Amino acid sequence: MTSSALAISGVSTLIALIAVKLTHLQALALFALVVSVAFGFLGRRQPKERVKYILWTLLLFLLVGVGIGWAMYPFSH
Amino acid sequence: MPEETAVQEPLSPPQNSKGEALAVVIGVAGWLVPGLGHALQKMWGRAVVCFLTVAVLVWVGAGMRGNLFTSRGNDAFDSLGYIADLGTGSFYWVARSLEANGPDVSHADGDYGTRFLATAGVFNLLAALHAYEAARGRKA
Repeated sequence: MTSSALAISGVSTLIALIAVKLTHLQALALFALVVSVAFGFLGRRQPKERVKYILWTLLLFLLVGVGIGWAMYPFSH
Repeated sequence: MPEETAVQEPLSPPQNSKGEALAVVIGVAGWLVPGLGHALQKMWGRAVVCFLTVAVLVWVGAGMRGNLFTSRGNDAFDSLGYIADLGTGSFYWVARSLEANGPDVSHADGDYGTRFLATAGVFNLLAALHAYEAARGRKA
């Protein structure tokens, strides 16, 4: 196999590796989790406070996201 | 009775210019490499979380083929998107190289990916600002 063919196959493998298929709910949950953890670490110092903040923010992200989803439901029909 | 002539000292002393310059360097470092601004101040937990957050958001955003804006935008929204995407610092070029097939916003996935990429940039700007403020001793 030539070096250029190897490079092309390497790029194809990388693209296949990063291809992400998520449902709407999975995308929402992943986004909420990642951003909640980041906000918790940035906004609070004590571990206990961080955990409380992360859980609270995660819950609000999910509730508001699902709530807005249901609020938009009648307009999609 | 003699008149009061003593000049009141300012409440806060003027900022040390060296410290200010260092804070700016830390802020810029935090923008270029997510988490580096905190790492330079030995805030290891925050450094790791900042790096991983931006990395995961960029990886997922690029994987969903979100739109990565360029400087050749057509309108103000494109320019705002470019500023947000550029907020990821070095990860902007990582995302560009990962998106070999270009964006695909004809499906919801691509639209979500665009939001993931923009969030990564805005979050990194926030983290860099936090590192800058911490270096100035304002908050930690």
